[in-house]
Amino acid sequence: MSIVTHRRSMRTGAGAPVAGSRLLVDEIGKSFLGPDGGTIAAIGNVSLDVAPGEFLAIVGPSGCGKSTLLQVIAGLMLPSSGKVRLGEHDVTGEPAHMVYLFQQYSKSLLPWMTVANNVMFAFSHRLKLSSNAAAARCRDYLAMVGLADFAQHYPWQLSGGMQQRVAIARALAAEPQVLLMDEPFSSVDALTRLDLHALILDLWTEKRFTAVLVTHDVDEAIFLADRVAVLTQRPAMLSEVIETKLPRPRHAIETRESRAFLALRHRLLKYLLARNQDGAHG
Amino acid sequence: MASFRRHVIAVVLGIAVPLAGLIALEIASRSGWVNPTFLPPPSTILATFWGIIASGSFIAPLGQTLLLLFTGYGIGCAAAIALGVLMGSSRPVFNLFEPLTELLRPLPKPALLPALILFLGLGARMEITIVALGCFFPVLINTIQGVRAVEPTMINTARTFGHGPMAIWRRILLPASAPYILAGMRISLGLGLILVVTAEMIAGSGGLGDSILSAQRTFLVKESYAWLVVLALLGLLLTWLFTWVERRLAFWNAPQVQ
Repeated sequence: MSIVTHRRSMRTGAGAPVAGSRLLVDEIGKSFLGPDGGTIAAIGNVSLDVAPGEFLAIVGPSGCGKSTLLQVIAGLMLPSSGKVRLGEHDVTGEPAHMVYLFQQYSKSLLPWMTVANNVMFAFSHRLKLSSNAAAARCRDYLAMVGLADFAQHYPWQLSGGMQQRVAIARALAAEPQVLLMDEPFSSVDALTRLDLHALILDLWTEKRFTAVLVTHDVDEAIFLADRVAVLTQRPAMLSEVIETKLPRPRHAIETRESRAFLALRHRLLKYLLARNQDGAHG
Repeated sequence: MASFRRHVIAVVLGIAVPLAGLIALEIASRSGWVNPTFLPPPSTILATFWGIIASGSFIAPLGQTLLLLFTGYGIGCAAAIALGVLMGSSRPVFNLFEPLTELLRPLPKPALLPALILFLGLGARMEITIVALGCFFPVLINTIQGVRAVEPTMINTARTFGHGPMAIWRRILLPASAPYILAGMRISLGLGLILVVTAEMIAGSGGLGDSILSAQRTFLVKESYAWLVVLALLGLLLTWLFTWVERRLAFWNAPQVQ
């Protein structure tokens, strides 16, 4: 399925891009109560400054607390120290302008609702739209991900890649300023993943939301992001932030074969592998 | 076609055993191996059963039993779901009620009948109460388990879109735990039928339980068995009905069926 064809089917004006606010992660720390009563530090001290409309990727070894950091940013979890700010506002609960895209689409899509009702679940309670307007908005977003014909299906009737498309359509139907993505491409097959990369870049270009992607896939991080933040082993600390400076639009094959891409990949992998070995030996 | 034949064979086999049993009883009764006063030949019971059906005299007792059963069942299930959702989603509420429910749950519910008769008399109120009490616990236990088994990701999904606690209850916790709740309600329906018949036998104020016992007491043995057949068919019908409702309400729980 080509991205280009379903981009054409998209109606313009289905929700104008929102003027974004700066996302500030200010010295966030998070620890949990351990089983022995002690505290386990998941996040040491992380600060990030994400410009409106920027695409930031966060990579780190598995189990380093990436998802925890993203959940704190989303307001789904309170930090132990520090704070998150979106524009002028401190994030203390789920903010109206941020949406979290989960890795496990099968657990995040509600199986008792049709695809259309899943998408409407994102906005119908906030916007008092007529049922026609709500259905139109739902159709627009499903068309953007190429699933206009599947509105009346149930999620479990679709393939994994299609389900994650529904989850993406639902997330964007809330028209967030910030889209937080927690390894959303890691539970689909390799080709579907490339397809979803292109889709998310297209949608990001169109809607200009701020994107924060947590992933353990270095290629994915470089390919999608403006900047890649690298986290250390648990407790997570920011070790460095690399600007990719790769030209846009990016191409599934050419971009990945470019010198600049390979150089970035070399640098990040070397760094992460060295880190992993430190961890293994230490 | 092969699947149709297999289906026919399954039905024939399924009917064969009860039919053989009936023929054996018929022979036993007619030959005098079993005292025909205690067990009349099934063919004569069946004739009496047809009489009850044809005359419409089954309608009043059946209607009364169903009314009591569904009133008690409805009250018991509704209360259990409400408390179960609370106990499943809140640790303090769970700690508050868990010892009490664990004490009352294993108690055989007919043992409560004497006390209930003292307080509520021998009428519909007592019968409805015992059914509600019996139906309450299986649904409560399953609702607690169902609510606890809800994927945290589903709740977080609702939160990220700004749904409040009430919406999360109604739109996530209830539907997500519906398969568990329905499984509990299936158990409760069987229990409810047992309890309503038991209570009717003791109360002696109408219903299928009363019909079975009164017929036996007045030496109308054939009638007593015929009412038993009515009761058996009612149980079968309720099971079918429930399976149908369950498939419609928790259709998404068995996607492979689709």
